[in-house]
Amino acid sequence: MLLTIKKHSSYSIIEAPERVDTLLAIDFEMALLDAGTHEDSNMVIDCSKLVYLSSSGLRVFLLVQKKMLAKGVKLRLCHLRPSIQELFDISGFSTIFPIFADLKTAITEIVNSDDLLL
Amino acid sequence: MIRIRNLSKHYGDLVVLKDVNVDIRKGEVITVIGPSGTGKSTLLRCLNLLETPTGGNIFIDDIPLLDKGTNVPKIRQRMGMVFQSFNLYAHLTVLENLTIGPVKLLGRTKAEAEARAIELLKIVGLAEKVYSLPEELSGGQKQRVAIARCMAMEPEILLFDEPTSALDPTMVSEVLAVIRRLSKEGMTMVIVTHEMDFARNISSRVFYMDEGIIYEEGPPEQIFENPVREKTKAFIHRIRSLDIRISSPNYDLYAIQAEMLTFCDKHFLPHRVSDFTLLMAEEVLLLQKDFSDIHLKLSYSEKDGTLNFVCDSAGEAFNPLKDELAEDDIGLKLIFGRCQTVDYARENNRNILLLKIKNA
Ligand SMILES: Nc1ncnc2c1ncn2[C@@H]1O[C@H](COP(=O)(O)OP(=O)(O)O)[C@@H](O)[C@H]1O
Ligand SMILES: [Mg+2]
Repeated sequence: MLLTIKKHSSYSIIEAPERVDTLLAIDFEMALLDAGTHEDSNMVIDCSKLVYLSSSGLRVFLLVQKKMLAKGVKLRLCHLRPSIQELFDISGFSTIFPIFADLKTAITEIVNSDDLLL
Repeated sequence: MIRIRNLSKHYGDLVVLKDVNVDIRKGEVITVIGPSGTGKSTLLRCLNLLETPTGGNIFIDDIPLLDKGTNVPKIRQRMGMVFQSFNLYAHLTVLENLTIGPVKLLGRTKAEAEARAIELLKIVGLAEKVYSLPEELSGGQKQRVAIARCMAMEPEILLFDEPTSALDPTMVSEVLAVIRRLSKEGMTMVIVTHEMDFARNISSRVFYMDEGIIYEEGPPEQIFENPVREKTKAFIHRIRSLDIRISSPNYDLYAIQAEMLTFCDKHFLPHRVSDFTLLMAEEVLLLQKDFSDIHLKLSYSEKDGTLNFVCDSAGEAFNPLKDELAEDDIGLKLIFGRCQTVDYARENNRNILLLKIKNA
């Protein structure tokens, strides 16, 4: 799976694909781990294109977050479509993940909270 | 207005229409439904003599269509036919498409014909396309022009042969809306269609065709809710529900979801509901343990808007709603979140999971 990744000094932005189902979940997981944990950098996943997400996809988010937390880097999600947001709400994932309305607020938050740490 | 008596049509040895007997009264809206190949198109084509019947007779206001002395072109003018493919004159503007017939065949002046054409284009919602060429129109717009062109010939009876079958799903409703509007103005219409919700709402009577005859006819409530005869029952059951069989763990999820999407579109379900319905299929399949014989069934009732999804599977008794060994309950949470009720039962040695999917 080819994901669009934009790297910045303190974070990278990854664009989620249109669909993450059982068959695509493994690919998605590899791509995320490659992009995120590898570099030990904070990561924002832009979900604006994501329209179909199953439990297998949600599990990927969970696993990636776990790995990133272990490394002390942050994972942020942004720009969820209403139906995807609903799935996050139903599954209780909205309380596990910091979700932002758009890319800009997600980045601002990452940058600012880094400043606080320093 | 139309009386059909002992009508038959054979193509060589193939008996398409065996013995059709039926009356259609002025102002009635008849929809004709049935499996493909049962002679629905043939019946329409016999009605306006695009085909010569093998036997029997058709009477239009007591004029026998098949008798030698009958003025066929004159009778045919009283009937307009709209086909699946739009058949517009490609090199003529919309306006010219509508006026050429009335001027050449009805002896109207150009001004008369144009005034009427513009009136009709307003009725079908295309007044602004008067000077467009057919190629500049969408499929739905072309079909609406085709309907207006038909009306320009001042027919007393309109025949439609699957007027929306060649259209992109997004354009079906605009064409159906136009037909519905004409029906309210008292046009006598005979419509062959696969759009069952439409048929149910618009018709005064429904003809179910099978076995070369009008196998069952009646008001839409009877045909769609309480069909009497065996084949009608089977047909109505088939269109109301989608059945999918799975016999291996390597099932084709995308093919299954594509079929389900087509079913949802056919019933005009909102996108968000169909998206979640596809998701339910994936989640339910993820809960299964035995894939040797799974039978998925999706059904929709227009009456109360319920969308039921059943997963009926062979194998040892297993209730996936209470699976202590499951890795997590994310899938179950999604299922419970998007369903009104979810129930498990063990029946006839099979595991039955019934989901009432939220339709909003
Ligand atoms: N011109 C023709 N020559 C031979 N067979 C035909 C012809 N037109 C239709 N048929 C046959 O007649 C049967 C009924 O066709 P049709 O009236 O188009 O069915 P429907 O419209 O119900 O799908 C089909 O088996 C079809 O192949
Ligand atoms: Mg046909």
